[in-house]
Amino acid sequence: MSQTTVAVERSPRRGRGIGPAVPAMLLLALFFIIPVFSLLLRSVTEPELGLQNYGELFATSTYARVFFNTFMVATVVTAVTLIIAYPVAWLLAIMPQRHANLVMAVILISMWTNLLARTYAWMVLLQRTGVINTTLMKLGLISEPLALVKNLTGVTIGMTYIMLPFVILPLYATIRAIDPSTLQAAALCGAGRWQAFRRVLLPLSAPGAAAGGLMVFVMSLGYFVTPALLGGASNMMLAEMIAQLVQSLLNWGLGSAAAFVLLVVTLAIYALQIRFFGGMR
Amino acid sequence: MNTMFLSIDKLRKTYGAVVAVDNVSLEVPEGEFLTFLGPSGSGKSTTLYALAGFDEPSAGDIRLRGASILSTPSHKRNIGMVFQRYTLFPHLSVHENIAFPLRVRHQSASDIAARVKAMLTLVRLEGYGARMPAHLSGGQQQRVALARALAYDPPVLLMDEPLSALDKKLREEIQIEIRRIHQETGVTILYVTHDQEEALRLSDRIAVFNHGRIEQVGTGRELYHNPATRFVAGFVGDSNFLEVADAEVRGERARITFPDGTTLANVPVHGGASASGTGELMVRPQSLRLSTDGSGLPVRVRDVTFLGDTSTVLFETAWGQEIWLRAAASQINNATPGANCHLEWNATESHWFA
Repeated sequence: MSQTTVAVERSPRRGRGIGPAVPAMLLLALFFIIPVFSLLLRSVTEPELGLQNYGELFATSTYARVFFNTFMVATVVTAVTLIIAYPVAWLLAIMPQRHANLVMAVILISMWTNLLARTYAWMVLLQRTGVINTTLMKLGLISEPLALVKNLTGVTIGMTYIMLPFVILPLYATIRAIDPSTLQAAALCGAGRWQAFRRVLLPLSAPGAAAGGLMVFVMSLGYFVTPALLGGASNMMLAEMIAQLVQSLLNWGLGSAAAFVLLVVTLAIYALQIRFFGGMR
Repeated sequence: MNTMFLSIDKLRKTYGAVVAVDNVSLEVPEGEFLTFLGPSGSGKSTTLYALAGFDEPSAGDIRLRGASILSTPSHKRNIGMVFQRYTLFPHLSVHENIAFPLRVRHQSASDIAARVKAMLTLVRLEGYGARMPAHLSGGQQQRVALARALAYDPPVLLMDEPLSALDKKLREEIQIEIRRIHQETGVTILYVTHDQEEALRLSDRIAVFNHGRIEQVGTGRELYHNPATRFVAGFVGDSNFLEVADAEVRGERARITFPDGTTLANVPVHGGASASGTGELMVRPQSLRLSTDGSGLPVRVRDVTFLGDTSTVLFETAWGQEIWLRAAASQINNATPGANCHLEWNATESHWFA
C-alpha cells in the first residue's frame, strides 16, 4: 500500500518533465554538442573530404607514440593513485572524526590551490638541482642527479599527486558507508587484515574505486598543463599534441581527428564502467 | 585442579575516567548457555567485546581451557559471534557467507560444500544458499549469521543482542531455534541481552550486570526467587517495592513495620543487611492476594485492568505508595476503584533490602 502512495506522490514530479533542465541543455547544445560536431566535421573535411586524417593519425609512428604515451601515463597514474588512495581513505574512515576532518581539509586545500603553482612546485622539487636530487646526493644514495623532470617520470609523479583527491574522496565515501561490524565479523570468521581487505573491503568499495579511477583515467587522457610543464618535448602527450597541431601547425583537420579519437575512447571507457559498476553515483 | 573451560578473571576496562567493566569474574563450564543481562551501559557488551578481541581490557585475564587468549588477535581466536546488527557480507550469497570462514581457512571445496549444506540444515534454511542477504528477512539474516558463526566449530559462540532488531513474535520463534541449536551442537554460548524474559527463556545461568559489575550469577529460578540485591530483584521479573519504616533482624529473617504501622514477620533478609533499620520490601505482583478476613496491609483500589487470562489491580497504600497485583480475573471480582481492602502475601515470598 505504501508503494502505491509513493508512486502517486512521485508521478506529478516526473510528469513535469524536462522543463527545469532546458537552460542547461541549451547551454550544452550551444557550447558543447555543436562544437563537437563541427570538430567531427572538420576532421573529415579538412583539407579535403575523407578519412585521411584518421589514417595519418594511426599510420604515423610519431602520433602512435603520443597515443601510447598518453594511455601509458594515464594507466600508471590511475593505478598508483588507487594504490596510494586505499590506505589513506581507509585511515580517514577509521580515525576519529576530528582528525579525519583535519586530514580532509589538507587534501581539499591542496586540491584548491592553483594548478600552475602546484606544478611549478613539483618542478622545483624534481629538477636536477632540486630538493629531491640534492638530498639523495648528500645522503650518498646517488652520485648523479636523477632525470625526474622533462620526461614521462616527471609527468607521472606530478599527475599522480594532482589526481589523488579525485580517488580519495569517492573511496572515502564508500568505505565510510561500510558498517564497521561487517569487518569485525570478518575478523572473527578468521580473516586477517589482508584477507579481510581482499575478500570484504575491496569488493564492497569497488564502486567507489571504479568511480574515482575512471575520473582519474579520463582526466589524465586529456590533461594539458602538467604534461606541458613537467614533460619533455620528445615525450608529448595527446593534449599537447592537439594544441601544437592547432596552434603552431594550424592543422585543424588532424587536430580535430585526434580530439575526436580521445572523445570516443573516453565514452567507451565510461560505457564499460556503467556496464560493470552501474555508473557514477 | 580442574581447569574451568572458560574463565574471566578480574576483568576491568576503563575509558579515561569511566569504568565500563569493574572487576568482573566468571567461570563458565563447557556447553553452558550463559546470558549477560543488564541495562545498556552496564558493561555486558564490553565484556563480550573483550572476549571477541575488539576491546583490549585494562586489567584482568580471559582464559580458554586454562590458556590466556588476550594476546591472540581476533582472527586467530576461533570464536564465533552473532552481532546486534546484520553483518552478513552484502556482496556474497548465503552460501558464500557461510563458506567465508572456511575459505579463509583454506579448506577444500568438497569439505566447504558439505559443511555449508549441514549448516543450512541446522538453521533450517535449506534451499536459500543462492539468495543474497538483501533478499532475506531480518530473522533469516540472523539465522545465516548464526550458521556462519558455527561453520568453523568454534568452542565459544558470542551473541550480542542478536534479536533486538526483530519484532516480538519473530524473536520468540528464533529464541526457540537458538535453544534447539544449542542443544544440538553443544556449543558454549555467551549471550548478551537487556531483555529479562529472553534471558529467562534461553539461559542455563544468567549473570546480572549493573554499573560494570556482576550483581548476581545464577539460574533464572535463583535470581527470581532469591535475588541477592535490590537491583536484581527489580530487574528480573515484575516487582513492587514498599517503603519500610523499621526492621528488626533476627538471623536470616526480619520483622518489618510499614509507615502505617502494619507489621509483617518472617521476611527473608538480603543485600548483606545485618543491622536493623529502614529499607525496602520487594514483593512480586503475583504473590499478592486480596485478604478475606480483614488482616494484612490496608490499601485503596486505584485502577483495575483486564488482560484476558489475568487482571492487574493498582492500589495505593495509606502513605501514598503504589502497589499492583496480578491474578486470575475471577479472584479479584470485588475490586472496584475507590474500594478499601487489605492485601496479604506469604512473608517468605517477599524480600527486605536495607
